[in-house]
Amino acid sequence: MLCHNKCKIVFRLEQRCATCTPNSISYVRLFSNASLASPSYLCPGDKLCSAENCIPGTGVYLRHGYVYSSLAGYVLKKNEGEKLPVISVVRETEVQLLPDVGAIVTCKVTSINPRFAKVHILYVGSTPLKDRFRGTIRKEDVRATEKDKVETYKSFRPGDIVLAKVISLGDVQSNYLLTTAENELGVVVAHSGAGAQMVPINWCEMQCPRTHSKEFRKVARVQPEYLQA
Amino acid sequence: MFSSLKERTGEVLLPGDEFSFEAEDTISLAGPVKPEKVVCGPGLRRSGDRLLVCKSGVLRHKQPNMFWVDSQQRRYVPAKGETVIGIVTVKSGDVFKVDFGGSEQASLSYLAFEGSTKRNRPNVQVGDLVFSQFLIANQDMEPELVCIDGSGRANGMGVIGGGGLLFTVSLGLVRRLLSPHSEVRSDLQQLFPCELVVGMNGRLWAKASTVQQTLIISNLLQSCDTMTAQQRRALFRRVAQGAL
Repeated sequence: MLCHNKCKIVFRLEQRCATCTPNSISYVRLFSNASLASPSYLCPGDKLCSAENCIPGTGVYLRHGYVYSSLAGYVLKKNEGEKLPVISVVRETEVQLLPDVGAIVTCKVTSINPRFAKVHILYVGSTPLKDRFRGTIRKEDVRATEKDKVETYKSFRPGDIVLAKVISLGDVQSNYLLTTAENELGVVVAHSGAGAQMVPINWCEMQCPRTHSKEFRKVARVQPEYLQA
Repeated sequence: MFSSLKERTGEVLLPGDEFSFEAEDTISLAGPVKPEKVVCGPGLRRSGDRLLVCKSGVLRHKQPNMFWVDSQQRRYVPAKGETVIGIVTVKSGDVFKVDFGGSEQASLSYLAFEGSTKRNRPNVQVGDLVFSQFLIANQDMEPELVCIDGSGRANGMGVIGGGGLLFTVSLGLVRRLLSPHSEVRSDLQQLFPCELVVGMNGRLWAKASTVQQTLIISNLLQSCDTMTAQQRRALFRRVAQGAL
């Protein structure tokens, strides 16, 4: 579809070209060498421009005096204080927020084991993530006191929403390592066997409002101003 | 609710039946009324202010205020602390996989036997029968078995020797066999001496002095599942006369 203005740049999705959005970061669409007529995303290997016109940023590489793209995505051209613009290729229009060491993340428990619990990280701080990263909460990282007497079954269950802190990014194959060894970290939302959302009683128990049965969890002490009625 | 539950003790209940607070349970203005507490056992569940029946069976009552539903089933659901007879299926590294008739196989570590250390491994092969108890048994994790109790002693658990016969019965019969003054057990004692291992997963292992006697015992136990007490005693008497 055509840009809303009379400029003839064509986009695949409803977007605005650089000339019509003066305030935002400009997305300059450069035609790739392969397809001039049809609009397309950039592929790895597409020639962007010569190295004299721009400084290469992320997602591009230099070869024989030309700048080529190494990712599949959109071109990003930033004019900073230096003379030449910085050209880079990004996969998504927004920058992905990655969980960093020390960040508080919200995750959902997927499976438990006598030694650890596997979780899917859903939110970093208060921003939701597009992909689900995987995390692990080891048995010794569940609480700060009496680490060897921790029973995973009495701390988490599959389906619980947990507030945790990242302690390590892990290797290539392992997941993020998380910990709940603080008063403010732990299970926030849990459902009982009957299906009702449970109410916390103290730091290690939650009660179902329907069947009045108590279940063990490592409960997070959420500040009262964050609790909704 | 207590009175309505007590009325129906001994009746057959179906899932969907419910007990609710009736009009007679109102508080009298004359004197102080203590609300009666009802303890729900298996088969009964509280939902709000009603009591729902989740299993079909006979309602039983035990003083002072315990109610439960006695139901028959053959499928075993593992519970912590129960002793079962399992069959070793896989021997991989430090852990054995044991089939006990549940939805998944349980794991049994080689260190969970009496007197076993890293150097002194127990003599367990694939296909062996193991009498053990559950250490971890819940719906979210893989069940785990051990052959020692809390203090490290075997207490009768471990690998069952050869020569006997393993057969399955319903869970109700197993509970009747294990109850303190079991009639079935006393009837069986009068027949001939035998060795009997009772697993709560519905599996029994029997061994008598001859193969014929072992087969007789297994047939008797499997058939007296659905008999009344009189029929069972008549059957045992007939067999005793025939055997002697």
